Amino acid sequence: MRRWFLLPARLTAWLLIVAPMAVIAVYSLLTRGDYGGVEQPWTFESFTRLADPLYLGILWRSVWISAAATAICALTGFPLALYIARAGKWKNLLLQLVLLPFWTSFLVRTYAWLFILRDTGLVNTVLTGLHLIRTPLPLLYNDGAVLLGLVYSFLPFFILPVYATLERMDPALVEAAADLGATPGAVLRRIVLPLAAPGIAAGCVLVFVPCLGAYLTPDLLGGGKTVMLGNLVQNQFTTARDWPFGAAISLALLALSTGLLLVTRHAGEQL
Amino acid sequence: MIRSRAAGFYAALVLAFLHLPLLILIAFSFNANRFTVWTGFSLQWYRAAIEDSQLVESLINSVIIALAAAGLSTIIGTLAAWGMWRRRAPWLSGALYLSLVTPEIVTGIALLALFQGAFRFLRLPLGMHTVILAHVAFSIAYVTIVVSGRLRQYDRSLEEAAMDLGANEWRAFLKVTLPSIAPAVAAAGLLALVVSFDDYVITSMVAGVDSETLPMVIYAMARRGVSPVVNAVSSMIVVLFGVLILISQRLQEK
Amino acid sequence: MRRRYFLLTAASALTACASKTRPRLNVYNWSAYIDPAQIGRFEKERGVRVRYGVYESNEEMLARVLTGNSGWDIVFPTHSRLEPMARNGLIVELDHRKISLLSNLDERFQKPAWDPGLRWGVPYMWNGTGIAWNKAQVAEPQSWDTLWDPKLRGRLTMLDDVEDAIGVCLLKLGLSFHSTDEHELQAAKQEAFRQKQLLRAYINAEVRDQLVAGDVLAAQLWSTTTAQAMHASPVTPVAFTYPPQGFPLYCDCGVILRESRRAGLAHEFLNFLLVPEVAAANARAGDTATACGPARALLPNDPVMYPPEEIYRHGFWPHALPSAAQRYRDRIWTEIKSS
Repeated sequence: MRRWFLLPARLTAWLLIVAPMAVIAVYSLLTRGDYGGVEQPWTFESFTRLADPLYLGILWRSVWISAAATAICALTGFPLALYIARAGKWKNLLLQLVLLPFWTSFLVRTYAWLFILRDTGLVNTVLTGLHLIRTPLPLLYNDGAVLLGLVYSFLPFFILPVYATLERMDPALVEAAADLGATPGAVLRRIVLPLAAPGIAAGCVLVFVPCLGAYLTPDLLGGGKTVMLGNLVQNQFTTARDWPFGAAISLALLALSTGLLLVTRHAGEQL
Repeated sequence: MIRSRAAGFYAALVLAFLHLPLLILIAFSFNANRFTVWTGFSLQWYRAAIEDSQLVESLINSVIIALAAAGLSTIIGTLAAWGMWRRRAPWLSGALYLSLVTPEIVTGIALLALFQGAFRFLRLPLGMHTVILAHVAFSIAYVTIVVSGRLRQYDRSLEEAAMDLGANEWRAFLKVTLPSIAPAVAAAGLLALVVSFDDYVITSMVAGVDSETLPMVIYAMARRGVSPVVNAVSSMIVVLFGVLILISQRLQEK
Repeated sequence: MRRRYFLLTAASALTACASKTRPRLNVYNWSAYIDPAQIGRFEKERGVRVRYGVYESNEEMLARVLTGNSGWDIVFPTHSRLEPMARNGLIVELDHRKISLLSNLDERFQKPAWDPGLRWGVPYMWNGTGIAWNKAQVAEPQSWDTLWDPKLRGRLTMLDDVEDAIGVCLLKLGLSFHSTDEHELQAAKQEAFRQKQLLRAYINAEVRDQLVAGDVLAAQLWSTTTAQAMHASPVTPVAFTYPPQGFPLYCDCGVILRESRRAGLAHEFLNFLLVPEVAAANARAGDTATACGPARALLPNDPVMYPPEEIYRHGFWPHALPSAAQRYRDRIWTEIKSS
């Protein structure tokens, strides 16, 4: 019976996820065509190029920024997810409100951030008007702006899984603990967090992993001055027209994140 | 602690953070000038947006694709999550994780190559169907992760009790488990819907001549130099969804 | 649910095939590059339907066209892509008998450097890369050095494009834009590193907003984009200069893809684009510079979009570089951007 449950997913996965990845693996072993595409001869060159300190530096930076973004998403998103889960009849409304901005184009919202953060933009104009600063703060085109943009894009990806796990938390548990004299901190640590743990883990994966592949945010909010893995890969498949190298980076990324995942979780646990 | 006023204030703060760019872009949709320097009030961009048939068509395409893809992936993903919860399926987990890790451009190029190769034999062009398939492919992972997280704290004994009382696995799932995890499934479905509606990179690779989606049109318009027409479109979408949300909330309260 | 959907698509596909009364042309172009009314005019005059899609970069378009099965009939690559596309067998040689209005092209485009016989593409719109600057706060640029001016620290931007950015570094050093010499390219890289200390961002057309708001004082930008900023800037006086050291020019040309099954109709469309009123309407709608000579008479004379001869002769049309040189430049670009 269980087999039938898994069949549609297995079919989709094999045809639309594994097969394309096989194509990518094949691409990574070929040579770049002059105007995109791939051609013979077969070579490992794309992989050996990866060992360059330039690319390792980009990798390190991407991991660092993605980890920071994940941490911030977790810290800011958890309290909100908890609040929504306990909000009774307002649950759905609040959840929808969290997602509402995401129905509009991501690009357009990022442009709105450009206006908010730039020298003559919202924040600086308000602060100057209140005489709190004299020269505009450089809020844009640096790592901080990129971090802000990433957190902004991926916050709902953290909130939703955590909400899904907390949603059925029995209020009686919390009340019982409070009755027995537990402080709010203890309640949080001993009851809420363990219950939410699978959701938190899921949320972290859903934020960290796509962050590594993000390219628009570092481009637009970082002013093209920071190169993350996502930018590198995007570049290979567009302007650099070096598909094999892009494929190789992608496979390396896969190896890296799989390694990270195995290290931080128990060996036998599922997604 | 959990329901204190401070928590409510904090929630409002985070929501404000999420909505601030939205307010900005709505405000500038009424700007008389093309650029983000306010010169006066004007509805010209709304007029332009409504008259742009390409924009309207692409919006309709996006809605159809998002609904179809989210529907399919929610069903497939929920079933998969349940299957994997009962007993491990490492290959499937690995494949879903793979779809998450891969940068979008890579998935897009790979799917394009696959569709082109496969369809050369079946003589079918790229179109809405290829976009929907691509969207299903990458949304299943999201759905599975969200539903799995919920299932992990679900009490297996409830299902086993149902089966002891004579139900087979499918009925036990349908009548006992599913209603209990329904909010999580709904949340997952919503996530899949949003992810599909706003996807650009993969869609632009596998879309055919007739299946332009809203993000594709907006990106092409915006990257060449922002035109407030995209603001007008986005504002209309927000207002529409806002109204839908309010309606669904009233219906729920009844 | 799957089955119902499949039946629906099958049914609609069948009905679509049946109702194929009017032939259809699929045109893929840059966004905001045409007057929609002209498409309607073509549809009515010829009794056809035109499907018009938009893209925002050559690479995006090429990635889809490379497969040879993209579904498009006409695309508009930038001139430097014409030769490689022809070499890869992606485009059809033009039949001049079907494009009688080729004589309408401005004389600069009758025998263009990249395609002297006009065998592959019909020039459509063109622009060049120069310096957009704030008249109120910056002196008129005499050369590309303005973009390295320490006084403009934090208020400078460059284009986020490997060809334009590295090319300008080379021009600043008095070297060739097309240099493939490793030492020269390393020198250009050092210039870029120096500039990065002063640079606000690598940014493309989005910089218009910041120019107009006064955040950015000098930017490497395309002439048409700057003209758009100048026309609509409410307060800030924005100006544009082509440095006499030399500057790249770009022309987007209409080509017919080999996969197209409506080559005859495609020729007619390219011919239609050369009708003076049509070309002028397109240039006006997109606020860009047209390659059609008689159309210029119907448009205001804008020295930014149509530079006079004494400025124009310093410009050149970049061509594609050999593969190895391109790879070297890409690596340098990654080094510059991630430093």
